[in-house]
Amino acid sequence: MAGNSKAQADRIAQGLTWRQLVELEACTRCGECQVWCPVYAQDKREALCARGKLEALRRMVDGTMPEQGQTEFLNSLYECSACGQCHVVCPVRINTPTLWEQARQSLAKAGIRQPESQLKLLSVIKEFDNSYGKPQEKRGRWAELAWEEGFLLKPLTLWRDKPSSFLYFAGCTASFDPAMQAVAVQSARLLQEAGVEFSILGEEEPCCVGKLRRMGDGAFPEEARKRVAQFENLGIREIIVSCAGCYKGLNSDYTGLRLWPEGQRIIHLTQMIERLILDGCLSPRFEVPIKVTYHDPCHLGRHNQIYDEPRRILGAIPGLKLVEMPRHREFSSCCGMGGGLNVAFRELQYKMSASRIREAEATGAEAVVTPCQTCYKGLLNGVEQTSSRMQVLHLNELLIRSLCPEATGARITEAFARHIPS
Amino acid sequence: MDYRLYRKWRSWGRGVKEKLNLTGRRSRAVRIWFAEVFLQRQLFGLSSFRWLIHLLIFWGFAALLFLSLALFVFKPLDLLGIDWGLSRFFLKGAGHLFIKIWGDVFGLMLLLGLAAAGIRRLFFRPAQQVNDQLDVFLLVYLVWMTLSGFGLEGLRLMQVPQEVARYSFVGQFFMPAGAYAPAELTWWLTVCWSIHAFTGAALLFYLPHSKLMHSILSPLVIGLNAIEEQERKDLYWPEIAKHRPTGLPRA
Repeated sequence: MAGNSKAQADRIAQGLTWRQLVELEACTRCGECQVWCPVYAQDKREALCARGKLEALRRMVDGTMPEQGQTEFLNSLYECSACGQCHVVCPVRINTPTLWEQARQSLAKAGIRQPESQLKLLSVIKEFDNSYGKPQEKRGRWAELAWEEGFLLKPLTLWRDKPSSFLYFAGCTASFDPAMQAVAVQSARLLQEAGVEFSILGEEEPCCVGKLRRMGDGAFPEEARKRVAQFENLGIREIIVSCAGCYKGLNSDYTGLRLWPEGQRIIHLTQMIERLILDGCLSPRFEVPIKVTYHDPCHLGRHNQIYDEPRRILGAIPGLKLVEMPRHREFSSCCGMGGGLNVAFRELQYKMSASRIREAEATGAEAVVTPCQTCYKGLLNGVEQTSSRMQVLHLNELLIRSLCPEATGARITEAFARHIPS
Repeated sequence: MDYRLYRKWRSWGRGVKEKLNLTGRRSRAVRIWFAEVFLQRQLFGLSSFRWLIHLLIFWGFAALLFLSLALFVFKPLDLLGIDWGLSRFFLKGAGHLFIKIWGDVFGLMLLLGLAAAGIRRLFFRPAQQVNDQLDVFLLVYLVWMTLSGFGLEGLRLMQVPQEVARYSFVGQFFMPAGAYAPAELTWWLTVCWSIHAFTGAALLFYLPHSKLMHSILSPLVIGLNAIEEQERKDLYWPEIAKHRPTGLPRA
């Protein structure tokens, strides 16, 4: 059977790095990736695990992949949340998440089409500068509403009016998604409670474009460069990010491209809050008597090694008891929301999150907590799929209950709903 | 082998070139590389049985390859009458006994590792293991190569005094029974050496086409990635097996 053309193989190979091409052949085929892969656990096809994908990609760059195999490989490449579990367990340390993202970019550049739903989302991001296809003028509306409704201690200042030491970067989801705007409000409130001086960008806040990288859009480096230039022009040196996906984009991806100037700091909200608690600026005081289990978001955990900070925050909340799932920290099972998987293969995401919820239930916890709004939404899908009674909570919510219970997520969402034109 | 490797090298050359920033990172990268390549720490965390198998095969194979390469240098020098201290020491001096012990220790390690790998592959059959014909062929091939090496050693021992032969503590079990004329032995030695050498050379040619290619590339990738991974301090997990998904076999 004829393989893919030499010209196509060359184009794909030219989009990968020299090291990645070597990695394709360094796989020992031990199958450890298969044991741990959360996608393979749902659909036991060799093509889905890293070993299968490495072999298929090797054949693609060699020009020996038959047509039928190409279709299967392309599907499997996108049926992956790039969670990085295979990287952690690989005895050869093949940097798989980066490889999958680079392969997606390379294949797209070689003219091989990716899932329509992903292409649609990518064009929305590029057109609207946010992943919700909403006008940018509405981006800072959450801050105005939060002040109007009394959820903040003082109104939030825009960076262009009053630059501060820190910029709070809310991200698209917390800015636009009515179900998640509470995360932005609570993040700002927590920083205010601790006396942190910060500003927001409001309608000037750009999308971090991390999704472009996740789904292999070749425009990512250029778009990222534009955003770094914007931050530099505004004199922003320290950015607090509450979204795990934005943190991965701004911290890992931009840094990987060596875009940031010397001394630029990207701080995840959990890192900031933990510091504030340690410094005595923030003291959770009200009891929150609940038994919870913690879900490590891939973008914070495996991709950025933020494991201890959220756990120490939970430990500081009086009355709260934390129990771990069998798979936690480096081995946390992905909920399926990353890497564009949920965009193209929603059913698969449902299965993955359902599996995670069952694992959380087995701990006997009443709630599963995560500091990532994307995981939060993903886990809610799992609850729905399993008809579970397990609560899904954002980490901010627990802190707010212990610090300023008037700003709970339910109250914020309810108050904001009144402002949505019917 | 050379041509195939050259083609692979050319193929990798199509990729984007990267610059590795080594400043201030070398010593830690070397430590990671040593721990992961020579001691195979990650594998130890995954399964001590697999670690033992792989370590026996890795060290056995690497040490015997090193011995073959060393003799490949020493022997021609000796045949050409070039009196180099090191080759004299190892071929005719006390170092000769050291070579006997070296060959037997690492040969035995390789044989035990291969036997254990065979048992795991054929009897334990872990779910994630690919068990195609080429894998079994490679295993049998390596066993044959090791046994032919011991067979050759057994014949050589027929030509040396017993006090020397005893240093080949495994090889002496491969000494043929009975007495042979020197000419007869020489013929058998030539045949056995040819078979063993041909098997070894064929393996080197086959290597780039087989899963053994990882023996060259894995250390390279570990080394390249170690420079970056040192910043991600907790990527290597000695207690990895503790977190293994339930319901899956350990081996």
